[in-house]
Amino acid sequence: MIKPSLKVNICGIEFNNPVIAASGTFGFGREYSEFYPLSLLGGISTKGTTLKYRAGNLTPRIAETASGMLNAVGLQNPGVDAFIEKELPFLRASGTRIIANIAGNTPEDYMAIAERLNGKVDMIEMNISCPNVKVGGIAFGILPESVNSITRAVKAYCTLTPLIVKLSPNVASISENAKAAAEGGADCISLVNTFTGMAIDIKKRRPLLSNITGGLSGPCIKPIALRMVYEACKAVKIPVIGMGGIMTASDAVEFLLVGAQAVQVGTANISNPLAIPQIIEGLERYLAENKINDINELIGGLLTD
Amino acid sequence: MRELELTITQNIKIAENIYRMDFSLTEGVGAIQCGQFLNLSLNRPDLLLKRPFGICSYDKDGRSITICYQLAGKGTQEMSTMQAGDKLMATLPLGNGFKLCDSYKKVALIGGGVGIFPLLSVPLNYPDKEYYSFLGYRSKSFVCMKKEFEAFCCSRIATDDGSLGQKGNAVELFLSNYDSIKPDVILACGPTVMLKALKKGLKENNINTPAFVSLEERMGCGVGACLVCVCQLEKREGVAANARVCKDGPVFNILEVEL
Repeated sequence: MIKPSLKVNICGIEFNNPVIAASGTFGFGREYSEFYPLSLLGGISTKGTTLKYRAGNLTPRIAETASGMLNAVGLQNPGVDAFIEKELPFLRASGTRIIANIAGNTPEDYMAIAERLNGKVDMIEMNISCPNVKVGGIAFGILPESVNSITRAVKAYCTLTPLIVKLSPNVASISENAKAAAEGGADCISLVNTFTGMAIDIKKRRPLLSNITGGLSGPCIKPIALRMVYEACKAVKIPVIGMGGIMTASDAVEFLLVGAQAVQVGTANISNPLAIPQIIEGLERYLAENKINDINELIGGLLTD
Repeated sequence: MRELELTITQNIKIAENIYRMDFSLTEGVGAIQCGQFLNLSLNRPDLLLKRPFGICSYDKDGRSITICYQLAGKGTQEMSTMQAGDKLMATLPLGNGFKLCDSYKKVALIGGGVGIFPLLSVPLNYPDKEYYSFLGYRSKSFVCMKKEFEAFCCSRIATDDGSLGQKGNAVELFLSNYDSIKPDVILACGPTVMLKALKKGLKENNINTPAFVSLEERMGCGVGACLVCVCQLEKREGVAANARVCKDGPVFNILEVEL
């Protein structure tokens, strides 16, 4: 039997397979490279990088919820210059695709970071959906008009590198925001970031997170994330990268069926360091069992009649 | 560090709310350093996160491992119902453990609550030291692993209510015995409030003995990627920085971390 092809092409960039490590759960890849070669991955979306070093929020930064978790790390990162100098050479040598996830407090921050990374990474993913920072972050990602204008402003600096806009699910209409990103010039969109949530210790009457609220992720969000990716895929013609609670290969297949050209896996890494290689193996098995030679035949293959 | 399947060989209650769980591994993890921990999966999709536990004993090849745990929430409740033969995935061994240089002959171990357990592993890597332990428990019914400590230590106990040993906590117990022992190094593990008291106590009493503490923090991945379990380092030339408890620690020099 011929080994099925898992290769996908997004904005002219070829990925070995459509499974990408999601930003914030995978650092800059070093830790997981102790478990498996990073070249196995479709790609890595790196830890959200800001213009300058950020210390992040106070602890506790994590709380378990039923079939999910809340996090409020608050974009702790070394800043874009340290990323380029200290992390990028390692990532480059790892033989996987590098998506630099970027975040900022102002449009100017985003533009400055994009300018520095333009031409240095395979794709830039603009995070306008982080729920855990006080200024910026999600603020740019709520209204379609602001999604459009920040996309337009940042895209001007991504002359050599395709721009992904990472959408927030905490919005009135995901279709409208997807369209706003596309009309603003995004080359690709990715969704969903985490849902804003909270949890409380009733004995202490205190929130479980120091930030009070945090971003909910994990299997509990998957049906909502899948519906949003389905709607976004219908709304725009640019490629869509889907994510939200993917733990297994069958979860990934669901996102591909609604039209996502690739998926990102985040929370699953936290509970199982081997999650991504296992998902890739599972996808290969699914294709073989269903006699599909090329994963692209699966993408958008949902039957609704 | 590896992701491996562990088989429970024993799961018994050893004191009030406290259990001991022994595992065997078909594939050994190799050498473990005292003070390292494992991140244990609970086989329940609704309990998504792994739980970190200090490893309290192990053999040379890492084929048999013991942890102890206190009932604290859903995860540990679930663990208490598990049986010999049950299999769990775990990531191990994790973190930087306790390291002792040759010049340290007399070692003081200070443990509070579940913090006593990782200290049990220290003589496995360093059998030829002179050990003194200062163990703090809530009360008599919580006392456990007493004999195990007495097997390699001159061991003293304190309880919060005075129902066994000295009334008070492990740090007070240590400080009141410091002059008669004068250890070369201090290793401590326990709740942050205890480690804070130790840092303050050493400073107030002008004790300059090197001290290493194993920190506790809510964790995610356990391997250093998710940046959930950070602690603050003492400022260097006015610059603050975070360290990851799981990867850069859990053991830190007491002078380097803010408590």
